[in-house]
Amino acid sequence: MQLDALDKELMCSGHVGCPGCGATIAMRFVLKALGEKTVMVLPACCWSVIAGPFPQSSLKIPVIHTAFETGGATASGVRAALDMKGDTETTVITWAGDGGTFDIGFQALSGAVERNEDFIYACYDNEAYMNTGIQRSSSTPYGAWTTTTTGADWKKLRKKNIVEALVAHRIPYAATANIAFPEDLIRKVKKAKAIRGSKFLHIYASCPTGWRIPSEMSIKIARMAVQTNIFPLYEVENGVNYTINYKPKEYLVREYFKLQGRFRHLKDTDLDQIQEMVNEDWGLLLRKAGEHA
Amino acid sequence: MEAELGLKKNLYMPRTSVTTESNKTGSWRFLRPRYEEKTSPCSTACPAGEDIARIEMLITQGAFKEAWETILRENPLPGVCGRVCYHPCEGNCNRREFDTSIAVHTMERFLADTAARNETKPVLERLPPKGKGVAIIGSGPAGLAAAWFLNMLGYDSEIFEAMPEAGGLLRWGIPAYRLPAAVLSNEIARIENQGVRIRLSETVSASRFEELKTSYDAVFLGCGYWRNIALNIPGESGSGVEDGLSFLKQLRQGAKPDVRGVSAVIGGGNTAIDVARSIIRLGGRAVIVYRRRREDMPAFDEEIISALEEGVELRELLAPVQIAAQGSDCILTLQQMKVEGRDRDGRGRIAADGTSPVEISVQRVFVATGAAAAETWHEPPPAETAGHHTAPLTPHLPLHLSHCTLHQEQQGTPIIYGGDLTNTSKNVTQAIASGKQAAMALDTFFQSGAGTIRERLSGCLVGEGPSLSMEIYMHGPRKERKTHIVSHQEINTDYFQFEPRVIQPRLLIEERTSSFDEIELKISANTAMREAGRCFNCGICNDCDNCYLFCPDVCILRGRDMTERHIDYDYCKGCGLCVVECPRNAMTLGEEEKL
Ligand SMILES: Cc1ncc(C[n+]2csc(CCOP(=O)(O)OP(=O)(O)O)c2C)c(N)n1
Ligand code: SF4
Ligand code: SF4
Ligand SMILES: [Mg+2]
Repeated sequence: MQLDALDKELMCSGHVGCPGCGATIAMRFVLKALGEKTVMVLPACCWSVIAGPFPQSSLKIPVIHTAFETGGATASGVRAALDMKGDTETTVITWAGDGGTFDIGFQALSGAVERNEDFIYACYDNEAYMNTGIQRSSSTPYGAWTTTTTGADWKKLRKKNIVEALVAHRIPYAATANIAFPEDLIRKVKKAKAIRGSKFLHIYASCPTGWRIPSEMSIKIARMAVQTNIFPLYEVENGVNYTINYKPKEYLVREYFKLQGRFRHLKDTDLDQIQEMVNEDWGLLLRKAGEHA
Repeated sequence: MEAELGLKKNLYMPRTSVTTESNKTGSWRFLRPRYEEKTSPCSTACPAGEDIARIEMLITQGAFKEAWETILRENPLPGVCGRVCYHPCEGNCNRREFDTSIAVHTMERFLADTAARNETKPVLERLPPKGKGVAIIGSGPAGLAAAWFLNMLGYDSEIFEAMPEAGGLLRWGIPAYRLPAAVLSNEIARIENQGVRIRLSETVSASRFEELKTSYDAVFLGCGYWRNIALNIPGESGSGVEDGLSFLKQLRQGAKPDVRGVSAVIGGGNTAIDVARSIIRLGGRAVIVYRRRREDMPAFDEEIISALEEGVELRELLAPVQIAAQGSDCILTLQQMKVEGRDRDGRGRIAADGTSPVEISVQRVFVATGAAAAETWHEPPPAETAGHHTAPLTPHLPLHLSHCTLHQEQQGTPIIYGGDLTNTSKNVTQAIASGKQAAMALDTFFQSGAGTIRERLSGCLVGEGPSLSMEIYMHGPRKERKTHIVSHQEINTDYFQFEPRVIQPRLLIEERTSSFDEIELKISANTAMREAGRCFNCGICNDCDNCYLFCPDVCILRGRDMTERHIDYDYCKGCGLCVVECPRNAMTLGEEEKL
């Protein structure tokens, strides 16, 4: 893998992320792509902790810790302040978890992007409220165990398709990315940085603790999410132009589910059903991209 | 309170002042990743123990000279071996389980040809002169290798060759379509340039051998097997019967013998195939007559296939019982054989099938059923047999190693027998392995005595051996490699795509059968780089940077040129991602030591 000019490190060692945390890998890549002239807005999430307890910081850029539901609103304010100072060069990025994005922060996010505020909203998706102890979110996938969907009551509702919700706002740029595909991820961040207006990045970030997976499998599982079409890599410009970045060789979803403790209870019939759901979503995406299966 | 915090009317924003680097998260760790290079399966299968994983990596980077030098540290004859070696490395390549093996021999030949074309001079390590001279009898692959490696180890090596040109079996026993003379001459010239002296047309007789023992510190015997083994059947010394090796030698000397009509070639080894294919090229017809079945033939399978393609006929399970002259023809009487059980070597045991012999009429017969040492004093002292125990004059000697035998009579000059004289598999690369082992054994003998040889050499094995590495012997970087042989399961194949193996361009059959031109043609540098790029580089780091990229704790530190990685254990939490995402098992995850 050849990634030039990414030797600059804007994240420090000594942070308290769990071993193998996908969200920290995602942060590292994103900051490498954005560079120093960046202000980060950080609503409550695991990363609020990983970024360091006062007076420590694990990030070498200015970070504003903000309330859980305010990622979109705070970023709008920071952008306005920078603009008033005549600083159009600095990038403003909101870095929020799936709970802070799909659920509680959705209103502020929707409002900000409807106004087409000039910022990047990055959601690192670990598919539950991890920081407070693995509660299900509207991003938790069908079939998953969480501490609020236990035993036979595993989650039986689909994961919200957040990218489509953002695309519906007709923002200049929305894309998915994955920590197992650094080149694609970094390209997308750089692309988002260069576009004016609202940009949304949905970044898959595995969570060894919450998913009940071994820490060393975090990248492997992230890669499989793409290979199985569970988390397709694509980008949408201006709400209409779809590009699929990676066409996998149709691995079976059960390969992905098999490796994770949070799906251990699923039976073959459940997995068949999930396979159908994934196929359906993929077919839908292909159609939007004007491609054939 | 307000004053204390320095608050006036302004909004107070607490600001961080230090990094998280004061938290030494390394204390969380209970598994410890480490950089640890391992051994590739191809390199253990290579009799010369070439560092194939590294060679392919260097080719991918376009570092052709360094790749070539990496071969030369273990094998002085890449141009020869890239052509005539049966490449067991490829049979052991991990990539076979993914799609197809790497064309290692094609890469080897490419490097040798590229170096020859550019007249590249290798830069290789040589130990300081030892002030000792070794006489080497025979300039075949074993002698050349012994001389080359002894030279590297600081000895003056001098080769005595009976023929007017050097190369032994490589020059006289292998046809030009497999090994062009210019390729061989080029390699020999490089060996001479490194400081090896070759004395041509100097036959070493038994008495000259005694003289050499007194004027040199050691003598290496690599005179090969040149005497044809007799069939012991009536008529074999009659007219129309020739020995295969002499025929091949005549051809290499420029003769164009008349082989009109049909020639029978008796035997199933590479010499039989070489003779038959040469006959085809001279315009004759050739029938190989073999006692056993095709699958039992010692000849390399690719050679058999090529021979059949070119029109050589193969008749199996026929043992010659008599040859009789009839006018200018030969009547060859053959006994039909059948397979009955198994021999000790695993091949089918054969026996006459009870039918009466058949006769075939041919114009001439070539006997190529194997060769033996030309003189009895070429033979190494026999291995001690149980029950027959004579106290050795020098302790630990004679020493019978896998590829050579070291002997010393009454504190006299040490003698090493090698090449075909001692090898069980008699082929070029095994002969090179023999020369290398002999050089190491002799050096160890001089450094620390015969009793230390086995142990010293066992520390230089590639993986579990028997291949030896001169780089390891000379304490080069390869010494750090673990002997663990990387398996296909240990490769992270997510980082590799299916890619077809290079297709070696070859002459058309019609072109092949009408000349002695080399069959396999050159490949371009781009093709070589693409093919080498398929290599997993099993067990060695190729600076892909995956470990650095995927570290969630920013604790892969890189030194000069962004290489020379190491792990900052102050912070490494032992998640193990680097080890799993290393595509080629150049890292290992071990238990953290208890403090
Ligand atoms: C209004 C409000 N409700 C609840 C919380 C408690 N809280 C802090 S972080 C968090 C979970 C965040 O989940 P997510 O956004 O998915 O990020 P993750 O922790 O999974 O990285 C919660 C519920 C809060 N800080 N503020
Ligand atoms: S992939 Fe390369 S290093 Fe691995 S066995 Fe094959 S040739 Fe050797
Ligand atoms: S991941 Fe790449 S850079 Fe790291 S040890 Fe393995 S081969 Fe070397
Ligand atoms: Mg979450």
